[in-house]
Amino acid sequence: MSNVLRPYLAAVRSTLTAALTLENFASQVVERHNQPEVEVGKSKEVLLNPMIISRNENERVLIEPSVNSIRLSIKIKQADEIERILCKKFTRFMMQRAENFIVLRRKPVKGYDISFLITNTQTETMLKHKIVDFIIQFMEDVDREISEMKLSLNARARTVAESYLIAFNP
Amino acid sequence: MDVNFRKIDIDAYDEDVISEGELYEADPRDPGQVLEDAKAKAAAVRSSLSKGDMAGALGTILDSPPFGANVEDAKNLTLQTVVTVLNSTKSADIPNVVKSLTPEAQDTLMKYLYKGMAMPGWGDVSGSVLLGWHEKLTDVAGTGCIVRAMTDHRLV
Amino acid sequence: MILLEPHNYIIQTTLAEKFTKPSSLDVQFVDFDGVRFHLSTPERKSALLLSMHIRCWDELVRYGAQEVLQREYGPLVQAQPEPEYNVSLVIDLDTAPPEGEERDNFVKSIALLKRNALAAPFELAFTKQKELESAGDGQGELTAIHYRDEEAIYIRAAHDRVTVIFSTVFREETDRIFGKVFLQEFVDARRLPTIQNAPQVLYTNRDPPLEIRHVPGLRDSEDIGYVTFVLFPRHFNNPTVAAGTISHIELFRDYLHYHIKCSKAYMQSRMRHRVAEFQKVLNRAKTEAATSTERKTVTGRTLHTR
Repeated sequence: MSNVLRPYLAAVRSTLTAALTLENFASQVVERHNQPEVEVGKSKEVLLNPMIISRNENERVLIEPSVNSIRLSIKIKQADEIERILCKKFTRFMMQRAENFIVLRRKPVKGYDISFLITNTQTETMLKHKIVDFIIQFMEDVDREISEMKLSLNARARTVAESYLIAFNP
Repeated sequence: MDVNFRKIDIDAYDEDVISEGELYEADPRDPGQVLEDAKAKAAAVRSSLSKGDMAGALGTILDSPPFGANVEDAKNLTLQTVVTVLNSTKSADIPNVVKSLTPEAQDTLMKYLYKGMAMPGWGDVSGSVLLGWHEKLTDVAGTGCIVRAMTDHRLV
Repeated sequence: MILLEPHNYIIQTTLAEKFTKPSSLDVQFVDFDGVRFHLSTPERKSALLLSMHIRCWDELVRYGAQEVLQREYGPLVQAQPEPEYNVSLVIDLDTAPPEGEERDNFVKSIALLKRNALAAPFELAFTKQKELESAGDGQGELTAIHYRDEEAIYIRAAHDRVTVIFSTVFREETDRIFGKVFLQEFVDARRLPTIQNAPQVLYTNRDPPLEIRHVPGLRDSEDIGYVTFVLFPRHFNNPTVAAGTISHIELFRDYLHYHIKCSKAYMQSRMRHRVAEFQKVLNRAKTEAATSTERKTVTGRTLHTR
């Protein structure tokens, strides 16, 4: 982990740990329903303050806690057009497989690239600190993966261009 | 047939429905008074800063901060002052400054850290400085401090 | 395999096979740029009929494709091509050259049918340049070959060079961005000392280059790119070099798009791997309870917990 990234990830880790205190909570509005309150947003008293952790305008995490669920949205760093398209492809690829990633949301919250929704059922059946580990690992790797993909694209483009042009040599 | 009645949000008419104001007790002070207080504290902080007393400056500004509705000016002024103090503290001094704060002041500081991070690029807010403080403050005050900042509806 | 080959592999292997073991056949296949081939034995097992359909045939004939094919294949070219196709060759296996290098070369030359048809306008431009060079000044006519639905090659000879312009369409945003990266590398690659001799490459996105700006019907949209190659006499003075240059430049568009597709495929496999890794990390979070085996009722039905 690079030294610049460390305080950012540490802040996400501690905030997420703090927010992951969920309990079973049936809907107050609809009888016999049990919904993630953060998604429903009907009862103000069970929603907590949304927290934003940011490094700069282009890299931030939004954590919206509630009594029985939390929603975590990540805005991934995108320096240029190539990174933007790679990030879009990567998050799309992952969200299409959301059923395997139980905590992943199929659509990101507006203004972010990818969102996770963690409910009390998941914190009961899964180890809480390991879920946090997963989110942190994801944030670490996704940046690296995108920059590696960009490098490999550039490397391939260079080789392709060179081998095409060199064939013109008599 | 008129079907508009279907779109009425009947839950809004529920007698148990909770309003924004009922989530916390309002500040007893008058908005004008709050702004005056904020200005006075900002001036006090400036004089403490010139003496190099970071802990004192931070303690002053974090005491009874403006919260709730109708006090946007006072909130902005206070945030600006807090950010100034945070930016001018040497990173080696942060742990000691944080330790010298009362638990209430620590919670308030945590609220300001999140508020600052929510508006990157505003004024001289710097992500890396706030993240540095956040880390030190969490070391000292623990996760509980974050939970209190999260659950307190008295938004600064 | 980085470079694409100019000959058609199916023609090459099928012919080689039929030479050793003649049998009746009837196959249709395709090549780049929507070119269709039909290889059949309509009369007898030893006489193969190879027909080709190419989109821009009328344009190619105008620039002398018929003569080029006549020169390359001589009596093999049929006066009346098979219906629905533009050109037909009859290959008589009995009168073909004997086995060995000569036959391999013959097979290879048949497999180059598409390349030879497309070569006509280039050869024309190269001859034109020679004429203009002795005249000392002037410009040839702008030749346009609409070899795909929305894409074209433009060739123009001048007294000291031949300019070849490709227009190419990137249908998806990803292709457009990847294409930009690739083409930028083509422009930059000439700085390398080993590639100094290559033709100069220019790339513009959206705006057509000056040479073809007057051509009507050019699309002006974000997804179109123009690539200009400036060929100097050193690229086509010697007939062997000229043939190599033609084979090579004809395939530029296919080469570029082929590698864009390859990059996308590579990204996809990388993402698949990375997502599998993430899955492993998340699975570590699952406790025994979450991964417990499914429970069944007495009658064998499964219980689902939600």
